[in-house]
Amino acid sequence: MIVVGESMRPTLEPGDWLLVDPDAYQRRAPRARELIVAPDPRDPARVLVKRVAAVDLDGRLLLAGDDREASTDSRTFGAVEAGAVQGRAWFRVRPLGRFGPVR
Amino acid sequence: MLRERILAALAPRRTVHAHCDIPCGIYDPHGAEIAAKTVSKMVALIQDGWAEGGRVEPGSQADLEVRNKVIRCVKVKEEHAELCKRELQVLWSDYFKPEHLEKHPDLHDRFWKALKQAGKCKQSVDAAAAAELEAQVARIADVFWETKGGRPS
Repeated sequence: MIVVGESMRPTLEPGDWLLVDPDAYQRRAPRARELIVAPDPRDPARVLVKRVAAVDLDGRLLLAGDDREASTDSRTFGAVEAGAVQGRAWFRVRPLGRFGPVR
Repeated sequence: MLRERILAALAPRRTVHAHCDIPCGIYDPHGAEIAAKTVSKMVALIQDGWAEGGRVEPGSQADLEVRNKVIRCVKVKEEHAELCKRELQVLWSDYFKPEHLEKHPDLHDRFWKALKQAGKCKQSVDAAAAAELEAQVARIADVFWETKGGRPS
C-alpha cells in the first residue's frame, strides 16, 4: 500500500510503500504500539494507517497518528473494533533508503 | 524510462491514509497582516484626533466628542495589536515545523521581534513603530509563502 497524508510522520512519510500482513490478527488481537490498517469509521471506503495507542477493556482499539497535530484519529472518531482491523503494516519497501521493518 | 515503467508496474494498487481532517491550508498570515495594518491606521487616526482636540474649546461638547473618538481608536489599536500577536503565535506554534526552521534559522528571532514590536505599538502612538510591525509581519508572511511554494495569485 502507498501512504497518503502526513499524520504518521516521522514514522511513515507520504509516498512510502508498505507491506501489510492481512493475516497478522487471525490468531491474536492487535496490541498497543503496533501499526495497523483499518477502515475509517466515518468513511469505510477509505483505509487508514494508524498506531494502536491503547486497547480498552472491551478489546476496542484507540488509534492515534504519530504526528498528533496532523492527525485525525480516535480523538475524533472514537475507538475502533479490533475485528475491523484489516492487517498490520510491517515492512517498508520504498524508499530504498528506509527499506526494512516499520515499527 | 525503463526504470519508471518497472516501478509503475510494481507500485502498490491501494492507498492507505495517514489522514488528518485539518489541512495545513487553514493557516494564513493574512490575519496578522490585516491586524498590523489596522494598528497603523489607528495610530494615524489617534494623531488626527489629538490635533483636532487642540483646536476645540476645552470642556466643550466638541472636546468630549474628540476625546471619545481618540479613546475608541486607542481601544481598537490595543485590540488589533493583541490580535496580531495571537495570529503570529498560532503560525509560530501550529504551522511552522522543524524542517522550516532548518531552512530559515532566523524564524524564531523573526517571531520574537514581531511579537515584541506589537507590544511596543500598544505602549506608544508611533507611526514608525507601527510601520515596523507591518514590515516584520510581512517578512514572516514571506517565509510562510515560501514554505507553501509561492503566494496564491
